[in-house]
Parts: sequence; C-alpha cells; structure tokens
Amino acid sequence: MKKLNFTFTTRLTFDNYVHDHSFALRCMPIEAENQHIISCELDISPFVTTKQTVDAFGNNVTSGYLKGEHRFLDYEIRGVAEIDNSLHRTDYMPCYLYQSSYTKPSAEIAGFYKSISADCNYTTPYDRAAYFSARLSEIMRYEKDTTDTHTTAAQAYEQRCGVCQDFSHIMLSILRIDGIACRYIAGLACCDGETHSWIELWTGDCWTGFDPTNNCDVNDDYLALSQGRDFSDCAIDRGVMFGAYTRQLQLISSQLLTSLY
Amino acid sequence: MGTISLEHGDHLFWLGRYTERVHTTLRALEKLYDNMIDVNSEKYVEYLACFSLPNTYSSKEEFMTSFIYDPTNPNSVAYSLEKAYDNGIVLREEISTEALSFLQMAIDILEKSKKSKQGLRLALLPLEDILFGFWGCIADYIYDDEIKTIIYCGKSVERLDLYLRLRFPFEKIYMEFERLCKHLRGVPKNTPYRYNTKQLSTLVELMGMGDDYVSDVPQAVAALGALFAS
Amino acid sequence: MTDTVLTLERATPVGNADEINELLRRYGVKFGIYKNGTFKEQLFPFDPIPRIITAEDFKAMEKGLVQRVDALNMFLYDIYHDKNIIRDKVVPEDFVYISSGYLPQCEGVTPKNNIYSHISGIDLVQAKNGEWYILEDNLRIPSGASYPLIARELTRVASPSAFSGNDIVDNRNYAKLLKDTMDYSNCGGINAILTPGRYNAAYFEHSYLAELTGSVLVSNDELFVEDNILYHKTYSGGKTKVGALYRRISDEYLDPLTFEPKSLIGIPNLMEAYRTGNVGVINAPGNGVADDKGIYYFVPKMIRYYLGEEPILKNAPTYLPFYEEDKKYVLENLEKLVIKDVAEAGGYGVVFGSELSKEKLEEFKNTIINEPRRFIAQEVIDFLDLPILEGGEQVMRKADLRAFVLSGETTRVWASGLTRFSRNPDSFVVNSSQGGGFKDTWVLSR
Repeated sequence: MKKLNFTFTTRLTFDNYVHDHSFALRCMPIEAENQHIISCELDISPFVTTKQTVDAFGNNVTSGYLKGEHRFLDYEIRGVAEIDNSLHRTDYMPCYLYQSSYTKPSAEIAGFYKSISADCNYTTPYDRAAYFSARLSEIMRYEKDTTDTHTTAAQAYEQRCGVCQDFSHIMLSILRIDGIACRYIAGLACCDGETHSWIELWTGDCWTGFDPTNNCDVNDDYLALSQGRDFSDCAIDRGVMFGAYTRQLQLISSQLLTSLY
Repeated sequence: MGTISLEHGDHLFWLGRYTERVHTTLRALEKLYDNMIDVNSEKYVEYLACFSLPNTYSSKEEFMTSFIYDPTNPNSVAYSLEKAYDNGIVLREEISTEALSFLQMAIDILEKSKKSKQGLRLALLPLEDILFGFWGCIADYIYDDEIKTIIYCGKSVERLDLYLRLRFPFEKIYMEFERLCKHLRGVPKNTPYRYNTKQLSTLVELMGMGDDYVSDVPQAVAALGALFAS
Repeated sequence: MTDTVLTLERATPVGNADEINELLRRYGVKFGIYKNGTFKEQLFPFDPIPRIITAEDFKAMEKGLVQRVDALNMFLYDIYHDKNIIRDKVVPEDFVYISSGYLPQCEGVTPKNNIYSHISGIDLVQAKNGEWYILEDNLRIPSGASYPLIARELTRVASPSAFSGNDIVDNRNYAKLLKDTMDYSNCGGINAILTPGRYNAAYFEHSYLAELTGSVLVSNDELFVEDNILYHKTYSGGKTKVGALYRRISDEYLDPLTFEPKSLIGIPNLMEAYRTGNVGVINAPGNGVADDKGIYYFVPKMIRYYLGEEPILKNAPTYLPFYEEDKKYVLENLEKLVIKDVAEAGGYGVVFGSELSKEKLEEFKNTIINEPRRFIAQEVIDFLDLPILEGGEQVMRKADLRAFVLSGETTRVWASGLTRFSRNPDSFVVNSSQGGGFKDTWVLSR
C-alpha cells in the first residue's frame, strides 16, 4: 500500500478564438478497490460550470460548455490517493472479451499470436499475458512521435514501434484473440511526466494490471484515471468547438509522488 | 412559440425576399413587354440599366426569355423562384405544407408556360394567382406573428429595393417605406431582424427628398441592404 | 386463405395514378438521392391499387406485432442491464456483443419508462398461402410512415367515392400516435425532430412529421448541451429546453464526445443529458443490437422467454451458419436460399443462391465457412404478388409491408403501413433506395 500525491495539468491553447466549445473530461481518478481517493480537486480555466456523471465504463465524466470566445482551456487535478494493488477490482463488462475499433487484429498480429501461442505452455490468464508481453517486448521498440492518438494496434504493430498507447492496444488485441477479457487503462505512473497507459486482464474472478510498455506488473506507483475497451473510451479530454481555429497546442505535465506523510 | 432558430430566421427572411422578387420582377417585365409591343421595342435596355447591366441581348425576345426562364441569370424569375423554394423547403413546419405547395406549383407553371402555345403573358397569368395563393397561406395559416413578421420584413425590403432601382413614382415608394416601418416595429428586440438605427435614419432622410430621390438610389439601396447587418 | 386472394382480385385502382403522383409532387413528397455526386430529388412513385388487409387479418397481426415489440423492448432493457437472457443461454453472448449495434456506452443507461424502441418499423411479407411472415425488425430510425399518410390524404381528395363505399380505417391518426409517444418520453421541454438536413433522403418525412406533430425541426447546430440539459438556441439569443428529441440520425453520429469523434451532425454531450434523464432520445441509442439480422433468429425465443407466450407472427425459416447443424444445411442447400449479410442494410448485401453461378456458389460457400457469424440464410418465401399498374396494364409484383408500432403508455399498431413493391418483375428486393414504389395500405374496419 502506498500513499501518492498526484497532480495532472493540461493546457490547451488554440491558434485563434473558439466558441460554443463542448468538452468531456475523464481525468478524475475513480474510487475502486485498489485505489482510494482521499482527496481530488479539479480546476478549469476559463471559469465554466460543469457536471459530473459516471459513464458506462465506470469513469468519472466532467462535462461543460463554454459559449463565449476563448483561446485556451486549462485544467488541473490535484489530490492524494491510497494505492493497494494487492486488492483487485471486479467491475466486469462482457464487451472486454471482444475486439474493439483500435484493437482489431491484422493478419500480421494474428500471425504473431499464432507463433507465440504455439510455444506458450502457461495456462492461467496472467501467466499467458506475461509471456505474450515478454515476447512482444522483444520485437516492439518504444519510440515517441512515430504514432499518434489515431494509430491502431495493427498500424503500430506493422512499424514495430510506438508509445504506451500502442503497446497496450497490441497487447489487448493479442489477449482477446487468446480469449482473455482485458481492458485499457489510462492513468499516471511514477516518473512518467505525462499520462501513461497499461492494461488489466480478467483472471476469472477479478482484474489484475499489467504494463506491456515496460513489460512488468503494475505496482502501487500507478494511478488509474479511466478505463474502457481501448483508447477511444478513455480519452482524457474530448472536445468540439467552433471558430476559425486551425490547430491546438496541448501541453501536459503530471507528477506522482510518494506521500511523505 | 419562441423557438425560431437563427438559421430558420434567415430562411424566413429570404423566403420573403425571393418570393417578392419573383412577383415584382414578373410584373415589371409584363409592363415592359406591353410597352415594347408598340411604343419602344428597345425599352429593355433601360431595364438593364436600372440594374447596371450591359446590353448583351440581340433582341427583346432573347431578353425576355433570359429574364423569365434562365435559371443562371440571377435577375430572372426562374432563378428567384428556385431560391424561394430552397428557402421554403426547410420551413415546412413553420409555413405549412400548403404554403410550400404553392411554390412547387409556381415552378411547375413556369415550366409549363415555356411550352405553351398561348402567348407569353397569357401563359404566365396563373403564376400571379399562385403567388397570391402563397401569400394567402402565409397570412392565414401562420399563427405565430413573429414568423409572419420576419417573412414580411423580407418581402417589404425586397419590394422597396426593386421599386427604388426601377425608379417607381415617389408616392409608391413612400407607401412601401411606411409598410416596411410597420413590419419593423413588430420585430422583437435582441433579434437579428431588429433594424439597424443608423441605416434606418439614412432611409428616413432619403425619403424626405420626395421626387428627387432618383439621384440617391444607390445610397438608398445600400442603406436598405445593411438594414439588418449588425 | 383463398379469401385473401379474392380480396386482392377485387381491388381496383383508386383514382388516377398520374393525378395522385402530380398531387404528391405538389406537396413536395420527394426523396433525395445522390447520383454521380449531385443531389437530386425524385418522386417515390405511388401506385393507386391499395393493398387491402381484412379486419380479421389485421387483428391477428396487431396482436403479434405488439407482442413482438414488447419483447424486443424487454430484450433491450435486459441486454443493457442484467443480461438474464444471456445468462439463461437463450441467446448466445457472441451474437449480442459482436453486433455492431451493441453499444457498451449505453450499459446501465435507462430511458424514461424503460422504452427503447418508441417507433418500430416491422417488415412483413404475406406468403401465397395467406400467412404473414416477419422479414426484419427496424428499431433504430425506421422511415416511411409519412408516405402512406399523405397519400391517403390525397387519394381521399382525388377519389372520395372509393372511401364512402368501403369500411376503411382512417390512417391519418399517425401524427397523434407519434405525438403521444413523444410526449410520454418527454422529460420536460419541447419536442424536437433532429434532421441531418434537407439533403437527407428522408427530409420530406422529417419536415412533414414536424409540421403534423407541432414539433420543432432542428439541425445539430441549433442545439447544445449545457449543465447536462439539451437546449434549442433561439434567434433572440435565448434557449428553450428540449424534453424529447426524435432524432433521425444514426447512433454513431449522435454525440461526438461519446461515439464517432469526427461526426459533424451530432450534439456534443447529448449522451450526458440523456444519461442524467434530462432528455428523452427517440429511439434510444443502442437499439441496433435488437434489430441485427443475426438477433432476428432469436426473437421468437425472446417472446417465449420474456412473455411466456407463443409467438403469434412467424419468422421466415432462418438458419444460422454459426450453428454447425445449420451451417451444414445452408452449405447443402445454398442454391435455394437467400443469404443476408448481417452488417448491411437497405436491401444491400442480400444474395439469392439461385442467382449465383457454379463458381460463385463455391466461392460463397467458402466465405460462409470462414465467417459464419456474418450471415443468416433464409428459405425463399413464395410471396403473394400484388397487382400494380404499369402503363395502364395490371401486372403482378413482389411487395412487402412495413408496419409501424408505437410504444408509449401502451403499445399501438398504426392501422396502415408502408407497402413497397419492386419495379423489376424478377426482383424480391423492394427497398425504396433501389427504385421501387409504394402503395397505400387499407385496413378494413369490418
């Protein structure tokens, strides 16, 4: 068990003024068996009234509507959480067993699965996942700026490199071919500085985390913000706005520190 | 009902303008046609001048055909009618299926008159009846005064615009101006069809010139065009 | 059974086809299509010989349709909540969760009064023996009610005598039924109909139904969600709360913040307003899971499961290659079956085994073996052909019937429906997007 202080800041700056801006944030960490949120505050600027709901996947959704013209949207969460991954979550949904839009396997992924499953002698979902992850990390390279948020598992696998989102998607794709239910987790991890993503797999009666990017177990240095079938269910912010705007600049920083008190 | 959206407000205004443009153009062309029978067969050149258009027509027949039927001529009856229909089709629940059907009938009659063996004027007569039918529907079927007022504002602006350009006698112009003012008073505050005070005072000033208004037509037309621009 | 056939032979044209088509034109009864990249509006050709359904036939059909739609609504509630029907192994879970119409985003969301399918379009055909069969259920945004509705209005104008001599149930109550349904699901505020715009094929219907029900016809840019409430923007800068949204755009475009992010016709955060119970969405998002061609097979089982009743209306005999036994039958009898791709709609993806060459047949068998879940196979029903007028002559053509069932405080069947026929004498496909026409459907009152 570990007590973590967390902060997560996003600054969105637009090229030009925008208006009628609707947004939905999934950045408030969820209260669950393995993570207890002691405190969490959300600040949004410019000022806007927001509403909180919980979506079908169990995520906290903060939605808002900025009518007038503005050039930026900043939001920050700050809080303290108690993480204990010796406890496990049990909020199962059947859809996690099936491929989703980002994870649809290509012939290459299916081929890769065939080759690694042939010499996999493990039987429990966790052991199989750990084995697949080890084999995946032999051929996948972590490299920034080679993929973006639209990259699918198939595309990332084809180029054999990507970031945490891509590792998670490929891993989900493989586990689902293997008949193991699994889900995507977006969150914060110690020493990352940005957002991180990993997966959870269903062991038969509960979820257990695994980090395919680092090919390791999920320990108590991970704070989950949202979960779903893949990235599309977990996007930390989504927005629709109007205006002559062409581009947006997104700066993210996060900090996760072991609490000293 | 208070649920007119910005988009529908726009369509209502332009429905009024284009329908009126069809009607006034039609009547102006008929008068012109009549004159060209035995008075001045090249009078259409003057008509073109009212719209600052060069004479690119080889005969009065060619001119008439273009100004009535050519859908690519932005001053033609056919063009305005198509635009009126385009605005009307998205307003069915505001103006009623009945009113909309008159625009469809107008299109059909215009099309039919092309092939008619009757003379042009005789063939076009029912078109005027149809347009009056349309306005009857607007007056009778629309319960919401706000909706009606926006359409009438468009209608009045268009009529005044064309009367000015066509150098109608001043009394006629003044009557239409008064009619426009009456409609303007019916537009609620904080809506896009609340007039721009500056432009309205320009118009009031010009209306004070009486018969001399002719020299200031461009100014008047410009003020009218900007009446609702914020 | 022979009675039905006799009724048909007695049927005579009501009014002159050209006259009524001219009237339909006059009232703007058109549907838009894109041909070679340009938008054209064309008439939906009307045939003046009505389809006649006897009072007795209709009573049975009515009971069967109410039963079916009630079971489908219970199925939708169950799938998005407790999933008992899967747990009890009546419907295999694969069929539910692989269906493209199943939306996990709707899990746990409960529409007002538990009604998911407010307006259901159930397609039926009558076989030569007089028996009605269900062809498919349309629970997303079924269209077509406006055509027979306005056609009836106009045929009564064109030939009043036809109606004074017959006991025909007046079908012009559709707007009332629809308005009652909208009101019942309204969460406080105005009723609005959301259209993708005038270039949509069904734009006439959207605007006509808005006029008749007194709803506001809106496009997405006139709506916004603030504090989880859906508002309509007025031209004076004000806002009006929308209590029920009869949306005529599909689920995936509904809310770019929940579904397809690139949707330009959706309303951001509509799902949050809906989830919170501040607006009724008609029909509910996620209904596609129940009108999936693969789920169709299970509807009679649902009726028994939820209602404990025997299904009154029959499905066309259907095989699922997903089951080994059925696959065997399908592969052995492919040349006499009709195969439907579960992912396609609008008459597309329908293949008649009898029309395939030997090579194509073999090729298709392989596709079925490789992707058994993608297809269903049905026996070709010997349709009862209906007479239509073509160039002044009566000819017989295939036709189906889309019945409209409205679920509000009670479940009601509209005493009429859209009868569509195929122009092509050899074609079984009667979809309007493939060039067919329509007839009025008369339900006799005695």
